[in-house]
Amino acid sequence: MKVAPQRDRQVTSEDSQMPRRRVLAWLSGFGLFASGLLAVLSDWLFFKPRVTYGPSARFAIGKPDDFPPGTRIARDVERVCIVREGNKMAAISTTCTHLGCIVAISDTGFACPCHGSHYDQDGNVTGGPAPKPLPWFQVTLAPNGDVVIDKNASVDPGTYLTV
Amino acid sequence: MTPTQEPPTQKSGTALATLRELPQNVWNSIFRNPLPSTDLERSSTSFTNFFLHIHPVKVNKNTLRPTYTMGLGLIATFLFVILVVTGVLLMFYYVPSTTQAYDRMLDLRGTVAFGIFLRNMHRWSAHGMVAIVFLHMCRVYFTGAYKRPREFNWVLGVLLLLVTLFLSFTGYLLPWDQLAFWAITVGTSIAGYAPLVGKQMQFVLLGDTTVGQEALLRFYVLHVAVLPAVLVLMMAIHFWRIRKDGGLSRPEVAAAPAPDAGVVKLKKVYGLQGFVRGPFTKLGNVPDNSVYSWPNLLMAELFVFVLTISLILVVSLLFNAPLEQPVNIMHPPNPAKAPWYFLGLQEMVSYSAFWGGIGIPGLMVAMLFAVPYIDRTTHGVGKWFAKERLLANTIFLTLVILNVIFIAIGTFFRGPNWTLVSPF
Repeated sequence: MKVAPQRDRQVTSEDSQMPRRRVLAWLSGFGLFASGLLAVLSDWLFFKPRVTYGPSARFAIGKPDDFPPGTRIARDVERVCIVREGNKMAAISTTCTHLGCIVAISDTGFACPCHGSHYDQDGNVTGGPAPKPLPWFQVTLAPNGDVVIDKNASVDPGTYLTV
Repeated sequence: MTPTQEPPTQKSGTALATLRELPQNVWNSIFRNPLPSTDLERSSTSFTNFFLHIHPVKVNKNTLRPTYTMGLGLIATFLFVILVVTGVLLMFYYVPSTTQAYDRMLDLRGTVAFGIFLRNMHRWSAHGMVAIVFLHMCRVYFTGAYKRPREFNWVLGVLLLLVTLFLSFTGYLLPWDQLAFWAITVGTSIAGYAPLVGKQMQFVLLGDTTVGQEALLRFYVLHVAVLPAVLVLMMAIHFWRIRKDGGLSRPEVAAAPAPDAGVVKLKKVYGLQGFVRGPFTKLGNVPDNSVYSWPNLLMAELFVFVLTISLILVVSLLFNAPLEQPVNIMHPPNPAKAPWYFLGLQEMVSYSAFWGGIGIPGLMVAMLFAVPYIDRTTHGVGKWFAKERLLANTIFLTLVILNVIFIAIGTFFRGPNWTLVSPF
């Protein structure tokens, strides 16, 4: 059994007499490369879910009257804080912008238990490693009078819904 | 290879003779060589045996010095074997569902025979593997073993370390307890800080915007199928390259013939040696300061294996793997801590999420990959803390110590709200 390459004979696969073979090789190479690119793209599309099975990002929280003026209620399941001042309502995210822990309502605003970030009443960072203020979510009134929060739609901080 | 045993003599082809020779024929068809008794036969057997052919026929004596390698690569491999075996057994009772996973953990404690013991073995081996793979990297660095021609095997080793960490990370979520949930919440948020693709990556990794059923399923598939397959393939290439790069690194002195070693004549180099082509195999001029792999290397491997499994068994008998309360997203533990090997990362993240979680770790990994291509010198190979490598070793040692300090701070000195506390 001979395994070692023979050195006495020069054998090359390149054969100028066979242009067809070279064309086929180029075509195959290009085809493989292109399908590789397509595979990466389609894998990405496959792994990025079109439908998520978690709780909906858009949900109703009840009538405005359920939240009397001065309310600041954190809803940990939905990770939002419902704020009502006078006849204005807003929803502030309670997901810490640092590393995703749930911030708790504190005397001065919000405080994160994981890495010690602090926010003021409006969600602006007042201390700790958080890089961004807490986002505000869109609040609308449904035709039946329910207050609806859409976590997929962020609004500028200070945007209130007048009820 | 020519079998060293005479084929059974052909008697008259009667049915009776065929029947009588059946056991022997079956045996011979499986094992080409009889149990070897000489060096040549042992070489021949290890060359033709599927499980043994990963070994070279002969190894340099330096390779077998316990103080040189400390057997760290072997220990990591054996820990992986233990992890595969215990992991497959655990799979028989585990369900990757948010409603069932935690109950299955309790079942391992309560109803499954040896359940808690298997889980302990799996958990402690996982911790051990992370630590040992890291120490193995340190060994390779401090002995200068990453240098030419072993640059690419070093790169593979760094990749193996990353896959090992990712395996640990994905396994961490599976018990679905408080520790798991918040560690993964924090960990995947760090991934979200990567520039441009961070948020997308986090979404694809979790399959949702928060850690939930999709994340549990994805992590499970990664942990039990994808990552082990990747790891096995890369380990195979890693081992293959050891052989192809000329065996383990060794000092120049060890590579040269010993003063009293005779030169092995060409006719004494058997055919099988001829197959093993590598930079250190010189036909007709083989320095004889190597010893036969069988029994020398085999016995060393066996000993390390027994040592590894004994240690894991003892630790698993003495200490139970931790299991906290079931997931309660309303009450993050305070402080929420990642596994110890990520606590250095978490500590850095508490200063700056981007720099601590992405920037500095990314730089360090990039530096690890680049090391053999930047340090092109060839001196100081095969010696621990060689004087010629003072600068290179000092830089690496500083980074290792810094990492250890950060891990220590994160582990022992951080209390509620990540404030500094004294452990004493």
